[in-house]
Amino acid sequence: MREAEVKPEVMRISWGPQHPMSGQTRILIDVDGEVVRRIIADIGFTHRGIEKILERRTFLQGIVPIERMVMVDTANVALAYVQAVEEALGIEVPERAKWIRSLICEMGRINSHLYAFGLQVECTGYFPAVFLWTTVDREVLLDLFEKLTGARWSYSFFIPGGVRADLPEGFRDEIREAVRYLRRRFQDYWDAMVENPLFEIRNRGVGVLSREDAIRLGATGPVLRGSGVDMDVRRDEPYAAYGDLDFKVVTEREGDCFARLKVRYHEIGQSLNMMEQIADEIPGGPVRMKVPLFPRSKRDVEALSRVETSRGELGVHIFTDGGLKPYRVRINSPTLRNMYVFERLAELDRVLVADLPVVLYSIDPWYLDCDR
Amino acid sequence: MDVVTLLWLYILSLVRWLLREAPGLVLDLLKGLPGWLWDFVWFNFKPLLQIIVMPGLAFILLFAMIAVWFERKFLARAMLRIGPFYCGKRSGWLQVIADFLKLFFKEFVIPEDAERMLFLASPILLPTIPALAITLIPFDRNWVLFDAGGLSLPVFLVIAGLAPIIPIFAGWAANNKYTIIGSFRTAYLYISGEIPLVVCAAASALLAGSLDLVDIVEAQRPLWFAVPQIVGFLVFFVGLILEAERTPFDVPTAETELVMGWRTEFSGILFGFTMMAEYVSFLGWTLLFITLYLGGYMGPSLFGVPLYDHVLWMLLKLTVIVVVIVLIRTVYPRLRLDQTLRLGWNYLMPLALLNLFITIALKLWGLMP
Repeated sequence: MREAEVKPEVMRISWGPQHPMSGQTRILIDVDGEVVRRIIADIGFTHRGIEKILERRTFLQGIVPIERMVMVDTANVALAYVQAVEEALGIEVPERAKWIRSLICEMGRINSHLYAFGLQVECTGYFPAVFLWTTVDREVLLDLFEKLTGARWSYSFFIPGGVRADLPEGFRDEIREAVRYLRRRFQDYWDAMVENPLFEIRNRGVGVLSREDAIRLGATGPVLRGSGVDMDVRRDEPYAAYGDLDFKVVTEREGDCFARLKVRYHEIGQSLNMMEQIADEIPGGPVRMKVPLFPRSKRDVEALSRVETSRGELGVHIFTDGGLKPYRVRINSPTLRNMYVFERLAELDRVLVADLPVVLYSIDPWYLDCDR
Repeated sequence: MDVVTLLWLYILSLVRWLLREAPGLVLDLLKGLPGWLWDFVWFNFKPLLQIIVMPGLAFILLFAMIAVWFERKFLARAMLRIGPFYCGKRSGWLQVIADFLKLFFKEFVIPEDAERMLFLASPILLPTIPALAITLIPFDRNWVLFDAGGLSLPVFLVIAGLAPIIPIFAGWAANNKYTIIGSFRTAYLYISGEIPLVVCAAASALLAGSLDLVDIVEAQRPLWFAVPQIVGFLVFFVGLILEAERTPFDVPTAETELVMGWRTEFSGILFGFTMMAEYVSFLGWTLLFITLYLGGYMGPSLFGVPLYDHVLWMLLKLTVIVVVIVLIRTVYPRLRLDQTLRLGWNYLMPLALLNLFITIALKLWGLMP
């Protein structure tokens, strides 16, 4: 990484990987007393070469490594890759499979937002109370995942041509029950913390990202929508079953950490509505097309798929050369784009040392996603 | 009857005999002692007993242990956990002792660039200074370990006011960037928190007409000062949380920002001492709070007749306040440093002055004796 020189009036602190709140990354901050003058994120610190790994796997095998990119939100990431492969190989997907895909993606989104939500609250020193609440409530979703896919994490459930299995017996009622439970719990979260005055003054007006800056710096996902930009791939370029689902894109105008938190909160509500709608209206039919195990690609085909993951827009670009494996896979990950925004926030707004974890977790970073 | 049962019966009868006969035996033994020896022993050992037991070591250690245990179990409930579970059956009361032993036998690391003497001395000084202040608190009318007479309130404030210097030195001695930021935060915090506290204490002394803590307690016999000085009562309560670095104001040790603030480099038993210091200073300020506003060792008065004075009233009040403060920890996140300072200077300080003026008015118009 570029080790910029330290000016004499600031103190450089290495904020990571040993810091309790940093996660597996390294961030350098230049502090002048309590004020952070500069943030330098060490992008590439956890580089694992997922793009290169994907070149060595067949199209089906590639699903497993790409899911390791964002463990907490595997469904959306895997969907981006699978859709790109389907486009490159010209595979059709049955309607019911699309709805099941949407269902799993929305459950994954709630799962991921719960994690982000809990972490941002923990950053304000709410000692881990709410973080553990969200972790416990995640169990409901994990149980559903286990029943549906056989795994609680990284389910590798999407395959080119559909999904691995149909919904099990009585699953739709279980979805409705889980949605009821989660709705009640989210009301508790709102009462316990979002309306807590001390929590509000820790988050309101902190790390403000204006609408123009958000567009200029290429923010994405809840960070972009928190700054008032109405953009969501699910609505703008519908994939899976999102064309048929009713949901509205949540935006907040303020652009501060509190707005980003509220965007996540309301998106969870939208996802719950979608889960209910899918449980009610899912069409019948097959869930999987017959696709050869090792499909051979045509020469020089390019395919791009865009998916709105819980962190923002993920793009997977595949080039084929007629072999059993992709020639090149390019991943444009949402956290990478948001990390640039995070680096600039110290210049755009006054960030104090105490605000740094709040600002960092308000963009919901997943460093392995950022470094691929 | 088998042998084991017989043995148990023998042991039980022995215990019963001891319980019935032993007090008489001891009294007979004591009666045999010459009176001057008895006086000598009592006169010399009463302060020692107090140092070791009630306001002293055992009380402070026991308070720290019970407070830590309660906080762990209570926070665990709030977090949907169980808390300490295996040591000491379900209640987990042995966990505190187990942790203490672990910390005690752990190797402690002194950083290479640290100022060795200061680094080693500061964790030991940390709990000592607030513990010294506790000796001034009256636990009953004749139960003051260090009776400074008419100077006890100022002496308490002076000794307790020394405490924040130690974290500042400790943070500097460790020679680490996080500890430096943490120790300067401590300095800011104490200045903004302690001045309102001193003003509130002055108002209480004014109302009682004395700087002696025993006199202040005795002056509350008709009415606790929490009623006429409700503003000062609330300001002191917030200030004491601030002074003890408890959760809404634990900015100097903010874990999510500064790893552990000025405690970052301490390990092993040195860290244990810093943790204990937090509870000792908390205990000291809470006891002063009870003495100034909640009638110290006096029971609540029913229809103008105060209940029997006893040290247990003090412990009961202490328990209630500890529960409230732990509850606050589960409910509120941490404030930022600038917000804490703004609270101290913009709200606590004017309110403390308002409280002082209310007290002067009450005294001038003779509404309070």
